[in-house]
Amino acid sequence: MILYRGKLYPDAMQGKLIGRLEGDLLDTLTSSPRLNAERVIAACDRMYRRAKEGKYDSLARPLLASFGISYARYADMVRAFSAEVLRYKCEIELGKDHTALPPLASGTRRSYVPLGVLLHVAAGNVDGLPAYSVAEGLLAGNINILKLPSGDSGLSVKLLSDLIEEDALLADYLYVFDVPSTETETLRRLAHLADGVVVWGGDAAQRAARDLADINTKIIPWGHKLSFAYATPAATDGQLRTLARHIAATEQLLCSSCQGIFYDGEDMGEVLSFGERFFGILQEESAARGPADPAMRGRNTVNLLCDRLEGNAERIFSGGGVSVVVKREPRLELSYTFRNIWVKPLSRHEIVRALKGQRGYLQTCGLLCGEGEREELAEMLLRAGIVRVTGGDLSRTFFGEAHDGTYPLREYMRIAEVDEG
Amino acid sequence: MSKTGKLFSWKKPYDTAGSDKLFVEAVAENVRHHIARCPAYRAILEEANFSPEELKTAEDLARLPVLPTLYLKRNRLLSVGEKKMLLKVTSSGTGGKKSLVGFDLKTLWRELKMVVRIANYHKLWSVRPTRYVILGYHPRRGQSLGAAKSAYGFTFFAPAMSRVYALEWADGEYRLDLGRIKRALEKYEKGHLPVRTMGFPAYTYFLLREMKEEGLKVRLPKGSLVCLGGGWKQFYAERVDKEAFYALTEEVLGVDRDHVVEFFGAVEHPILYTDCRAHHFHVPVYGRVIIRDVDTLAPLGYGKLGLVNLLTPAISSMPLTSVLTDDIGILHEEACPCGCTSPWLEIVGRVGVDLVTCAQGAEELLKGEV
Repeated sequence: MILYRGKLYPDAMQGKLIGRLEGDLLDTLTSSPRLNAERVIAACDRMYRRAKEGKYDSLARPLLASFGISYARYADMVRAFSAEVLRYKCEIELGKDHTALPPLASGTRRSYVPLGVLLHVAAGNVDGLPAYSVAEGLLAGNINILKLPSGDSGLSVKLLSDLIEEDALLADYLYVFDVPSTETETLRRLAHLADGVVVWGGDAAQRAARDLADINTKIIPWGHKLSFAYATPAATDGQLRTLARHIAATEQLLCSSCQGIFYDGEDMGEVLSFGERFFGILQEESAARGPADPAMRGRNTVNLLCDRLEGNAERIFSGGGVSVVVKREPRLELSYTFRNIWVKPLSRHEIVRALKGQRGYLQTCGLLCGEGEREELAEMLLRAGIVRVTGGDLSRTFFGEAHDGTYPLREYMRIAEVDEG
Repeated sequence: MSKTGKLFSWKKPYDTAGSDKLFVEAVAENVRHHIARCPAYRAILEEANFSPEELKTAEDLARLPVLPTLYLKRNRLLSVGEKKMLLKVTSSGTGGKKSLVGFDLKTLWRELKMVVRIANYHKLWSVRPTRYVILGYHPRRGQSLGAAKSAYGFTFFAPAMSRVYALEWADGEYRLDLGRIKRALEKYEKGHLPVRTMGFPAYTYFLLREMKEEGLKVRLPKGSLVCLGGGWKQFYAERVDKEAFYALTEEVLGVDRDHVVEFFGAVEHPILYTDCRAHHFHVPVYGRVIIRDVDTLAPLGYGKLGLVNLLTPAISSMPLTSVLTDDIGILHEEACPCGCTSPWLEIVGRVGVDLVTCAQGAEELLKGEV
């Protein structure tokens, strides 16, 4: 399904419409007034109110069920589209004075202006996320072209068409195409029309985008990230329990999900007893939540048996559908997910050295330690490249927080300066 | 004659109850053989504190340590020299890793006897010249893919009048051409020689679905068979209900459910499982199935869902006596309408879900983009 200037077309029309696209984009850029953030906020807010009244419940409920998200949490999530939250987001990301930046001392006027045209190459792992990415692009005043992920459910087109219904002006700023990733020539044409290419996905997707885009096109990468916990001997059972609950709740599938725990110490005996202690807590929290999918537990059991046969770990604690693998080398790696984590020694003085090679992949660290050492450790983690330090719930979200260490609206805009005549 | 030799000469291919004692003896013999020749295997059994002397009854089989197929893909365990491996086959490599399994002469001879007997039981032999439609690879010299070899072997059950392949080698790669298959089927419909199709269930399903969408329906001549082999593997997301599948073969090819035969086996467990007329995979005398708990690997008995562990003493070249597959299944003991009393294995799924490799791989191949 294609969405083009507010109208839906079948995919067979793709070639014809893309042929027209450049002319239409230039037309909007030349003749239409600059898209005002307040106008976008108002349209989003009207949609948010409809969502609150239950308009999207039938679409949302199956998705919520598949991710194990409660309705109350959903209600909180849709608040991201409310005027209040969007205005707060603009203020946090661009500054309170973002609509009227004070001039330079020389009198030069300053303002945020949109990049122009954004191509969003969306990933398929979270339904509805592509639509949010486009909403951010609109908020920054851009014309947005969305390339749907393969296997898209149609939710993104539905949400964006609804947004146009709230304000017909937005029609000229929204285009959605269902181009398969393998049609590189078509994607190259789309990328060529864009001032910025927003890419969601792993290394392969990022590399493909760099290859597609012209050298003078800005790439905004939202890549896959790794997150972990750092625990010291002072970590309390309460902190470990919050972490265990987070692990079971997210099944370790999010960028912010904890993949393993680095333990502040070098003595393997101490690391082993910490691993065993956490294993007990993880078992309890997993039981409280109910078992993970049997196909995933089976996969982990097979993987762990291979690890045992190959001697890949110092020690493996497993049972009750959860496992803790204690290893010696402090290498950051993915866990098997679904309630399997690794525990490795990493003394605080080695944090920067051990993690520096993973630059760009690091996201959240759940820091489990005593109050007195928290500041020092957080500083070390930030120096190593971590962008967010939390407690045991690594995936908690707050409105206004940065995305992987940067503010999307700033990425989607330029600072323009115009001298007084 | 060795115990394993006797087992592979057993008259009734589904007499698992009658052959239990011999099976256990053959497994013990096979384990002793591998212990003596494969130091890595010996080390694994020693580590697990297991001795083949513990194998007395069928219940004891569960105590033999299992080797995951994943482990066998990463570690090559041999009990004979490479030179004695007459035939080498690789698995289709779901997720990029492949098993390379070698068969020596002794193993191959046993395999042949097994295939003859199983094909007899299921009345797969025919003297009528048959047209073969292989929804798989045209074998090439030097190719080791197990699926290609077994599909080719399948064309000897009845004399081959012709063979057409969906995947032909051209310009250095295999290309999928379903158009060629459809044209062949349309031509065969007009003739009177029976047709036998053979292929992965997923490929067969994609073909049938495409034919249905295009309104292309044929009535294959009487005695034609639709044969499926290799399981759904990386195409699990596309898996369809068996009843829906049979309805489609009837509608598109004119082949009813009694003429759909499915095979199951693995490169690491080369025992031929063939579904009966009730479409159940009964366990043949040459192998045994143990369903194991997904967390603890404890044996579960009948009617419970778990990891599928396959046992056979067939292989003397590699210690594949007890392998833990990536399949999740149930072993049934309920009476089967076909009259066979051996328990039957139902494959329910596969461990893990890899969204990127499942549906996408198939769709890309179909679009000619691989």
